[in-house]
Amino acid sequence: MQVSKKIVVLGHFGVGKTSLIRRFVEDSFSDNYKVSIGVHITKKVVEISVGHEISLILWDLEGTDDLKTIRDAYLLGTHGVVFVFDVTRPSTFQGLNTDLEIVKSKMPSLPLLVVGNKADLVVKKDLEEVLSKNAIETDFLTSAKTGDAVNDMFLKLAKLLD
Amino acid sequence: MVERDKIELLKDILFTDDREFAEKIARRIETIEHTVNEQEKLSEKVKPIILKQLDEFVTEIPTTLGPTITATLKEEIQKNRDGIVDALYPILGKMIKKYISQEIKLLSEKINKQLSAKRWTTKFKSWFTGVKEEDIILSETSSASIEQVLLIERGSGILAASYSKTETIDKDMISGMLTAIKGFVEDAFGQKNQNLELIEYELYNIHLQSFVSYYVAVVISGDYNTKAKDKVQDLIFDFYDDFMGKNLDKIFKSSDEKSKKMIDRESLEKELVLKFSNASI
Repeated sequence: MQVSKKIVVLGHFGVGKTSLIRRFVEDSFSDNYKVSIGVHITKKVVEISVGHEISLILWDLEGTDDLKTIRDAYLLGTHGVVFVFDVTRPSTFQGLNTDLEIVKSKMPSLPLLVVGNKADLVVKKDLEEVLSKNAIETDFLTSAKTGDAVNDMFLKLAKLLD
Repeated sequence: MVERDKIELLKDILFTDDREFAEKIARRIETIEHTVNEQEKLSEKVKPIILKQLDEFVTEIPTTLGPTITATLKEEIQKNRDGIVDALYPILGKMIKKYISQEIKLLSEKINKQLSAKRWTTKFKSWFTGVKEEDIILSETSSASIEQVLLIERGSGILAASYSKTETIDKDMISGMLTAIKGFVEDAFGQKNQNLELIEYELYNIHLQSFVSYYVAVVISGDYNTKAKDKVQDLIFDFYDDFMGKNLDKIFKSSDEKSKKMIDRESLEKELVLKFSNASI
């Protein structure tokens, strides 16, 4: 029996949430309605071990600078969270720890991955320095453009949810 | 030489240029007057020719300018299809509405003319229920049919089971989107304990029946009237009561019961087919 799990993907405007999901899912239908109701839903079945699959229902929520304004209705019944920031834009990670506190208060005790996207645009050494300076711990540094670490990140989350 | 002649002579000497200028103006005025008078005469001759040319021009527009206008319109429609549709939609909508009202009126009249034994039954029903006779007949010839049924977990939007007459896009995504729309509407109006119950989509209606942990979405095509709605509700309640209600212990599990067996999707889908596939509404 294939189990389905709801994943919400959160983060500020333009951090690459949709691109990450597109890269992972590969095919998705129009996301025009994200503009209307602030959410776009896609699905990907992941094989976490031989013959054992899990269906990830990905809720790509509209980017917001104030996470408190996210509609609670969209977070109900969530099984796992991906929080994305843009490694090239300090404004998306300078308040990261506060953002994560808000996420955790809205969805306590859930598997949560912190992901720095657009990693292909920066020098790794410089990035590590900046993240360390801002006391930021990430689970993955991804690039939706090159696909680097995208599948690994979702696979890890799927395994955490199993 | 008298004084007056002297003055005149002096004026002649002093104002020669002015006089010439005045004469020039006078000649010009004369020419203009002449031209105006001639134009009136000219227009009498020219007017019929112009009118004839204009008539010919108007008659020849379809052949001369027609192709250009058509090509321009086509190009504009291609470029700005949405804008044109937006502009036409209200007009077409009114026309269609008017046409349908007219057709319904004609249908009602036809129904009224029918005299049969059934008419008396209908009359009695109408008198008894307070529903219009025409509406009862219409509802009895309802063309509504169930196209798809989705059993969805509230909140998460995870699809528990589904039944569908035809293939559609991924049902898991439909369930998620329906849940998002439902959540958005319920959130937007901020009314506690109120649920979105119906989504109308041109030829389809999506009936949403909420329960505590799940909700059922039934996609109906055709004329979804009050009677059909009642039947759909009955079917949903029967399904929920007969199957979900009796298996509550298998549906819900607490965190310390992780190993407990859940109702599998296959059993739920069998039950959905059983309840909804042959149901007439």
